[in-house]
Amino acid sequence: MNHRIGIPRALLYYQYEKLWLTFFAELGVEVISSGETNKLIIDEGAANVVDEACLPVKVFFGHALQLADKVDYIFVPRIVSVEKNAYICPKVMGLPDMLAACKKELPPLIKPVLNLRKSNCVKEFAWETGSFFTDNKKQVFEAWERAKKAQSKHDLAVVQEYQKTKDIKDTALPVLILGHHYLLEDHYLNMDLQEKLKKLGCQVITPSMIGKEKQEQFIKNFPRLMFWSYGRMLLGSLYCFGQGPGLKGVIIISSFACGIDSFIGNLAKRYLSRQGIPFIELTLDEHTGEAGLNTRIEAFIDMIRWRRDSVENYISSYGYNMGCTEGVIGAAGLHSDHATSYQ
Amino acid sequence: MEQLGFTVIMPPPTSKRTISLGVAHSPEFACLPIKICIGNLIEAHELGADTFLMAGGVGPCRFGLYAQLEKEILEDAGLGYKALIIEPPGQGPWQFLKQIKKIGTSVSWMQLVRGFHFSYQKICIIDELEKLVQQIRPRERIKGTADKIFTYALKTFDQAKNYHELCDAYGLARQKLLHIPQWEYTKVLKIGVVGEIYTLLEPFASMDIERKLGALGAEVTRSIYLSDWVREHLLGGLLPGISHNMYHKLASPFLNHFVGGHGIESVGASVNFAKAGYDGIVHIAPFTCMPEIVAHTVLPRASKHCNIPVMTIYVDEQTGQAGLNTRLEAFLDLLRDKKNFLDRDITMC
Repeated sequence: MNHRIGIPRALLYYQYEKLWLTFFAELGVEVISSGETNKLIIDEGAANVVDEACLPVKVFFGHALQLADKVDYIFVPRIVSVEKNAYICPKVMGLPDMLAACKKELPPLIKPVLNLRKSNCVKEFAWETGSFFTDNKKQVFEAWERAKKAQSKHDLAVVQEYQKTKDIKDTALPVLILGHHYLLEDHYLNMDLQEKLKKLGCQVITPSMIGKEKQEQFIKNFPRLMFWSYGRMLLGSLYCFGQGPGLKGVIIISSFACGIDSFIGNLAKRYLSRQGIPFIELTLDEHTGEAGLNTRIEAFIDMIRWRRDSVENYISSYGYNMGCTEGVIGAAGLHSDHATSYQ
Repeated sequence: MEQLGFTVIMPPPTSKRTISLGVAHSPEFACLPIKICIGNLIEAHELGADTFLMAGGVGPCRFGLYAQLEKEILEDAGLGYKALIIEPPGQGPWQFLKQIKKIGTSVSWMQLVRGFHFSYQKICIIDELEKLVQQIRPRERIKGTADKIFTYALKTFDQAKNYHELCDAYGLARQKLLHIPQWEYTKVLKIGVVGEIYTLLEPFASMDIERKLGALGAEVTRSIYLSDWVREHLLGGLLPGISHNMYHKLASPFLNHFVGGHGIESVGASVNFAKAGYDGIVHIAPFTCMPEIVAHTVLPRASKHCNIPVMTIYVDEQTGQAGLNTRLEAFLDLLRDKKNFLDRDITMC
């Protein structure tokens, strides 16, 4: 029997794309991913979930609804935890139930549970998913192994490519973008931020380029248990980047009403202020006006470039630790919290 | 804590100033409890406190990082605060007491257990009394009488030095409450209040929603009382009571996994209230609360399935009352209409 399974291109899809696609391909299941995010998807998502939900969840609903009449099943794994002693996020944990409560008609959901917080039960997860399509346990596990290999190969390639370019001395400004995968890689949501930065002469660094290994090594500097995988990723990357040499800037990008980033972003801001690294915080929401974003990024990049080009060891007496000005400037549909610090 | 050789400084009751102070120093999208908490800590610092005691956590709710973030915020604000962080008492009361003992220096185990036991008894008695107040509120002839007695009773509880005095104070307050003149014929709606624990237990955070519902002629039952929480989390469920497992089971058709905080309890308790024949549910949560947003999303489905109206209310640092009053009145009017109770015009004013 030939099944068509739909995977919404949202949330963890950006992190595990290779894994899901290889796994289902190995099992001989036809996969249909929803298309790139667009205005229609966001609108439909926002209309079908509670207003208080965060932007990525709304986008997820939009993608799932787009798949509704094209597939036999929708794949919505309940990913509780992907590593020991850490969770993803309460909303991701409740995602299948949230989607099931949607008012619109949806095909049956495939919702296997992945919880590696206490025990390593990846195999059960693979079997729970695979058993929908085949009774052959061996085939499922082999498919899973190959999928895992494909995913780690992909992750490693990203890190290695960055390592190669890292040491080349050029005029590009190194800028770290701190954000979740589903914001950094969804070019509609982030309004092509990475391309924009490259055009402004920046060397863009993302958490996936720094790699899991380094992140885990540096997150140990955090004085308590960081129990969110995203938190481990973001703060780990930040500590790693912050301790490296050279002048640089950090862009913290988060989505409106993101519970995790409200804390992680704030902890990151405090760390950056202490280190004297300039940063800007951008908050994305359903609005699509680009001008506000462009202005802010340009201003920010101009500032760090001036800082680099000005006399070495020049210390501005004005605006020392101007950071942490709380408050949202809602302009052109973009919520942004502007905070830079000079030293 | 006083029995552990510390001077305990109680911050003044939460007020608008507390919230303003908290909001000024907290992340914008953080939830209300941490904003109030930071406000409380700043006000306590003004009164001379130099150390704060806070619980830690292992997630996934943001509460687990409160202590760390508070520490950094207060440091950056230039307040020299020391932090004592207690990890969650997952292993029952002994682990908890051990951690406390580490903090208090010259205290015997006996004193510690006694102190803990007394606090627990006090919490239970307060909850018993409050349940009675919740019953009387919609029926009393002069609005506010029960609350006045309750406030006074809390003061007498604080003065009680041992269990006997506590029981005496409780008996007296109970008698007073039972003698409040009541309307005989009032038809009373039964409302279950569910949601995030802090907003349920701190009246200021929820803008006194229980009192408001009472004044509008509804008998209110909460899904969580403090004594239940202590029993569940500190005593490890040694004593009988409504256990969370029951809520998990009830919630499972709609929300089949723990989502942190009290998300699943909110759903389970709503189903429980529906089964117990309640007329409606009010669901309270702080704005951007992650577990409660999950609960909010699945509640309409549960509501339809169990045939019980649910209204979700998010609270944040805004303190305007009119919006909430209107919504509560409208909600109760609808419920009354459903039951043909529309015989008396009850409004907030």
